[in-house]
Amino acid sequence: MNGSTAPVEADPLSKGTSRLSSRGDVTAFLMELCAEIGADNYMLVAVVHEQDSNDARILCSNWIFDAIELAGKPLIATLAQGSLTAAPGTRPQPLVTDGAPDTDGLVTGEEARLLAVLGHAEVYSLRLDVGRQRLFCLFSSGKAGSIDPIGVMRAQLKCCYALSLAPQLLAQASMRDPLSDRERECLFWVSEGKTTDEVAVILGVSSNTVNSYITHAIQKFSAANRAMAIATAIRSGII
Amino acid sequence: MTHALASHADIREAAAGLFSQDRNPFGAFSIGSQTHRVATIPDAVRLCRWIAMDINATGFGLFFASPSAERDRLVACFDSDYPSVSVATKFMSGAGGEDMVRHTRISTQPRWWSDDGVPGSDAAFRTLAWVDRTASLVPGTTGIAFPVHADRGQCGLAVFFGPHIALQQDQLYEIHARCFTLFAGVALIRPGDAGRSRAISRRELECLKLTANGYTSEAIAKLLKLSVHTANQYLTQCAQKLNAVSRTQAVAKALRLGLIE
Repeated sequence: MNGSTAPVEADPLSKGTSRLSSRGDVTAFLMELCAEIGADNYMLVAVVHEQDSNDARILCSNWIFDAIELAGKPLIATLAQGSLTAAPGTRPQPLVTDGAPDTDGLVTGEEARLLAVLGHAEVYSLRLDVGRQRLFCLFSSGKAGSIDPIGVMRAQLKCCYALSLAPQLLAQASMRDPLSDRERECLFWVSEGKTTDEVAVILGVSSNTVNSYITHAIQKFSAANRAMAIATAIRSGII
Repeated sequence: MTHALASHADIREAAAGLFSQDRNPFGAFSIGSQTHRVATIPDAVRLCRWIAMDINATGFGLFFASPSAERDRLVACFDSDYPSVSVATKFMSGAGGEDMVRHTRISTQPRWWSDDGVPGSDAAFRTLAWVDRTASLVPGTTGIAFPVHADRGQCGLAVFFGPHIALQQDQLYEIHARCFTLFAGVALIRPGDAGRSRAISRRELECLKLTANGYTSEAIAKLLKLSVHTANQYLTQCAQKLNAVSRTQAVAKALRLGLIE
């Protein structure tokens, strides 16, 4: 990992491109990072937009099972995508649940106490940009102040790099692009404000065909209508 | 004389105050939106030049990856010759940038290239972890490209090149983090913003967000206790203010601009 002392490799193209091929590799990597920054727990989360609510999909974590059950998915989604979540390049701020009566308005006092009891006195939430895909990583420790904030910023970019090498894990995280090329094209042009007839001219097919492509796209996203299908496609980076 | 001294002390104190208050955890440089808000392109160019100086690069450029999946092109935002455009940028905006656009969409790993034939010019990159080699982005140069991403899923690329680039492993994360900060600022400066004279009200955005979540005007009216006519009017105003021809396009534009999540 420490490149400055590593020997010069003959062919850097081969360097590390398969290092995170399995879930176990990702787990080992995150454990290593925890040790490096002074955290006890990690959790890698994908947030999936649903109508009205966000659902957290936990990709891997070393939280005890009961803690996940007790905290619940909505709280985890809030932690992952809350106001304290740091994008790469911004300074991460921890959520301190221990002793703070009403923490920052992100979680309720009750939720904060629960997290503190479960051993998450301090929680850093990081946004990970892996190409267009977006994941969230929570690093937490049982004692507030034990995580090194500078280390967290480095860890954030290391996570982005490492997950770029873990396409299998990413595939589970995202809604895979379910659209055919034609459906995607139609949706893109509709999102650009084109009418069905205009899209038909652009793509050189009939209006009925365009409508059927769009209907299929709506069904694949289980969306209610065109606007929602387009919103879903933009949110998941498909168009 | 005493006055001058006092003012020096004042300045130093003020500067110390600034730094301790909003100190960059990485050390000497303040990053983060609070301290270096990029409000204009010249601001961004200055910020980018500082990054270039820190790694001893002679040329730099910031690009957007074209949003449409149909064209894999780098769209130049500015480069080291700002306000004019360097030859290197013309190369990257052409077919030379296609591979990197595709890379940027699926990965955040930096990529370096070396094509200047100067022995040892790539020494800084060969030992770096997480960074792989790619085909030359600018013929006859050695450099590194950092994929960057902004809030609403915009992808971009910050590129630095020169024959004597120096980059340590620990510095890599800091530099990349600063590229993210830079791009996040630039992504907020949109040509569309300047033309958007009238601000969109909270109520209008609320309606637009519900539309994005699949609600019909009738459902929105019921939920927000409005008449259907009012809900429709809000949506029409949204579309007008966003310069969109339909409410579907208004939803798409608002999502891409980050007005709604």
